[in-house]
Amino acid sequence: MLVENSRPHLFDIYNPQTSRFFDEMFATDSTVREHYETILTLFNELSPAEIEARKQIVNVFFLNQGITFTVYGNNEGVERIFPFDIIPRIVPGAEWDMLERGLTQRITALNLFLFDLYHDQKILRDKVVPAELVLGSKHFRREFVGVNPPLGVYIHITGSDIIRDKEGAYLVLEDNLRCPSGVSYMLQNRQAMKRAFPTMFGNYRVRPIENYPQELASILQQIAPSGEKASITLLTPGIYNSAYFEHSFLARQMGIDLVEGRDLVVNDNRVYTRTTRGLKRVDVIYRRVDDDFLDPLVFRSDSRLGIPGLINAYRAGNVALANAIGTGVADDKVIYSFVPKIIKYYLNEDPLLPNVPTYLASNPGELSYILANLDKLVVKAANESGGYGMLVGPHSTQAQRDEFAAMLKADPRNYIAQPTIALSRHPAFANDNSFTGCHIDLRPYVLYGESVKIVPGGLTRVALTPGSLVVNSSQGGGSKDTWVLFT
Amino acid sequence: MLSRVAESMFWMSRYIERAENTARFLDVNFHLLLDLDKITDVDSRAYWEPLIMVTDDRERFLTLHNEFTAAAVSDFLVFNRNNPNSIFSCIALARENARSIIETIASEMWEQINRLYHFLNTADHDILQTDPYNFYQAIKNGSHLFQGITDATFSRGVAWDFVQAGRYLERADNTSRLVDVKYHLLSNSSNKDEMDPIDNIQWMAVLKSCSALEAFRKVYLSRIEPETVMQYLVLDQNFPRSIYFCVQMLQEALWHISGSRHREFATNADRLVGKLEAELNYTTIEDIYQQGLHAWLEELQKKLARIGDQVYESYFSYHTFLDNEDVALAAQRQNTGSSSSRVSRAVWSQLDSSEQQQQQQQ
Repeated sequence: MLVENSRPHLFDIYNPQTSRFFDEMFATDSTVREHYETILTLFNELSPAEIEARKQIVNVFFLNQGITFTVYGNNEGVERIFPFDIIPRIVPGAEWDMLERGLTQRITALNLFLFDLYHDQKILRDKVVPAELVLGSKHFRREFVGVNPPLGVYIHITGSDIIRDKEGAYLVLEDNLRCPSGVSYMLQNRQAMKRAFPTMFGNYRVRPIENYPQELASILQQIAPSGEKASITLLTPGIYNSAYFEHSFLARQMGIDLVEGRDLVVNDNRVYTRTTRGLKRVDVIYRRVDDDFLDPLVFRSDSRLGIPGLINAYRAGNVALANAIGTGVADDKVIYSFVPKIIKYYLNEDPLLPNVPTYLASNPGELSYILANLDKLVVKAANESGGYGMLVGPHSTQAQRDEFAAMLKADPRNYIAQPTIALSRHPAFANDNSFTGCHIDLRPYVLYGESVKIVPGGLTRVALTPGSLVVNSSQGGGSKDTWVLFT
Repeated sequence: MLSRVAESMFWMSRYIERAENTARFLDVNFHLLLDLDKITDVDSRAYWEPLIMVTDDRERFLTLHNEFTAAAVSDFLVFNRNNPNSIFSCIALARENARSIIETIASEMWEQINRLYHFLNTADHDILQTDPYNFYQAIKNGSHLFQGITDATFSRGVAWDFVQAGRYLERADNTSRLVDVKYHLLSNSSNKDEMDPIDNIQWMAVLKSCSALEAFRKVYLSRIEPETVMQYLVLDQNFPRSIYFCVQMLQEALWHISGSRHREFATNADRLVGKLEAELNYTTIEDIYQQGLHAWLEELQKKLARIGDQVYESYFSYHTFLDNEDVALAAQRQNTGSSSSRVSRAVWSQLDSSEQQQQQQQ
C-alpha cells in the first residue's frame, strides 16, 4: 500500500476536457463512467514502465505475425506495425443493442435500395432520390440492371463508420458497402489484448467476437449457386495490397483458398482455379478487388488483377460474388445524405441511427453556404476513401481552401460538406508515457446472407496524432480493442 | 492445390535451404582461415574468391568490389540486397513467397520466417567480423527451426511434398557446387602420396561445411583423403547432405506428388529423377574421376536444373491460354535451363501490378 501511494496514478494527471469533448471514459473531469471504473483501477496500479512493457509484448506479437504495412517510396521497404493502443474501448450492452438495431435497419434499407436501383427503380420514379445522382454515379453499373444476385442480397459484408458527437450521440459517418477492411484488426486486437492483460478479462463480461470468420463463411455458403458443398475462395489483389494480411488471415480462418486473379480461369461461363491436378470449380468468390479491376473484358481493360470472363459467369448465375457488383452507388457520399429518406421509403420507419448533417455542393443554395463556410466545414470528395480528397476546414490553410473552392465550383456533383464534428475522445497511452485524450470512431462489421448478423464489436480507430480528427491508418491512425459488454 | 501455391511452397523451401548453405560455406571458411593463419601466410583471396564462384556470382561481385577480401565477400554474400543470392535476399524472397501462401502454411512457419527476416534486417553488418560464429549459427538454427516447425506442424499432403522437393533439389545443387569448387582448389595443391596438415585441415573444413565431419569419421575413421571425402559427399546413401541422399529424397517427394510407383512414371520430372537416382546408385567414385569430377558435377547440375524445369512444366504452369507474362516467363526458363547457372524465382508478376494492388482499399 505504501509503495503504491508513493507514486502518482496515471489517471490523476489525465485531463478529459469534458467541457469541450465527449470523453468515453469520464462523465466529468473528475468522475469516471461506471463501466470504466475497473479499468481505471487496473491501469492506475501500473507504472508507465509496466504499461510500456505490455505494449512491447503486443508489438512483438504483431511484428512476428507479419501484421505490418510497408511504407512505400523508398527501396528499403520499411515495415511498420499498425499502432495499437493498449487501453480498451468499452461499449455497454444497452448502447450496443441500440447500435445493432440501427445498423440492421440501415443495411436492410440500403439493400432494398440497391435491389430497386438494379430492377424497377421505383425510388427514382417517385423522385425520393434524384435520378441523375444515381444514374450519373460512376459506381452505378447499368450492365447489372435486371441481374438477380442470390437471395436478393447485394451487400454481404459492410463496415459502417460510426462516430459520437459532443453530446455522445451515435451518428453514422459513412457506409462502406464495397470491400470494407479492418475486421482482421478487430480480431487480432482482441488476441493482443488477451496476451498483454490476461487477467483483465476476468473483471468484465465481454461478448466474444472470435466467431466472425465462421459467420462469414456461413453467409458465403448461403449464397452459393449450387447449394451443398460449395467451393469458396477469397480473391485478393496480391501481396502488395495494404489489406493483404487481412485477406490471408480470413482465408486461413475460414479454411478456404486465397486466390489471385491469375489463379482463376473462366471457361464456358464457369470459374475454375488452376491446381496442380487440373481445374477445380469455384462457386463463391469473396472478392477484395474493386469492381473496376474484376474483369478486363467488362471494366478496366488494363487490369492485371482481374479474371477475363468473370462477369459473364456471374451474370449466368454460375458463380456468386460477395459483395455484388455495383454496390458503390449506395455508399457514394452524396447518396449518403439521402439514407434517412431511403429508410423511410422502404421500411416506413424513422432512422434509429441518424446521419451527420450533410450539404450537397450540387445544390446551388448549399454550394454557396459551403463556399462561405469552408473554414468551419469538412469537405469530402464523393467517391474517395481512406481519408484522401478531404478538407478539414478548421485545420486548413487559406491555400487549401482556395484549392477546394475551385474544385467545388468545377465539379459540384463530386463534393459534399459536413459540419466539423468534435468526435468523442478516449484516453490513449501516448508517447510521452501518459494518457492523452484522442478522437475515435467505430467500424462494426455487418454480415448479410439469409439475415443480418453483427458480431458484437468492431474496430475502434483512434487518431493518435494530437488533435487530429482523421482516424485512417494511412493518415497516422491506430486502433484499440473494442469490448461490448453483456450488460 | 493451387499451382501458384505449390510453386511458392517449392521456392520458399529452396530459398531457405540456399540461405542456410551460404551460411555454412561462410562459417567454415572463416574458421578455416583462422586455423591456416597460424600455420602459414595465407593469400586470403584464394580462399574467399571460391565462395563467389560457388554461388555463381563472380560478375556481379566484380561490379561492386575490386578485391576478394573477407569483409567484401562476406558482406556481399550475407547482406547485399542487390545480390539475389545473398542470405538476406534469399530470406526476403522466402518470406515473400511465404507471404503469398500465408493461409496455406502453418502460422508458426510464417512467424519463424518472419523472425529470421527481422533478425537479418536489423542486424549490425559488423557482426560478420566481430562475432561470425554466433551469427552464422543463428542463421543455421533459424533454418533448422523452420524445417523442424514444418516437420512438426505441417500436414503431410501434396504441399509438404513440394516443400521437400524444393529443399532436396536445392541442397543437392548446393553440395555439388561446394564439392566442385573445393576439389578444384585443393586437388591442384595436394600431393597424393603425402597429405600435408594444411590439406588435411582443408578437407576437414569441406566436411564441416556440410556438417559431415563427425558422420564421416564414423564411417572412414581418421583417414581423410580426397577420394573418400568425395565418395562420402556425393555417393553416400545415408548422409542427409550427400548428393545421392538428396536425389533419393527428391525422387520420393516427386513420386508422392504424382502418385507414381517404382518403374513407372507419370510426369517427365518423375522420369528424370528416377533416371538420375539409378545412375547415382550404380556409379562409383572411380567412374566419376574417369569422366573428370568437374565435368561430371556440371552435368549433374544441369540434370537437376532440368528436373526443376519439368516440375515447373508439370505442376506450376497450368495455363489454358498464354498471355505476355507467360511468354516472358517461358523465355526466362529456357535461358536458365540450358546452362548450369543458378535458377531463381522472384515474385515477378506481382511487381508490375503492385500499383493496382495498392489502389484497392476502403
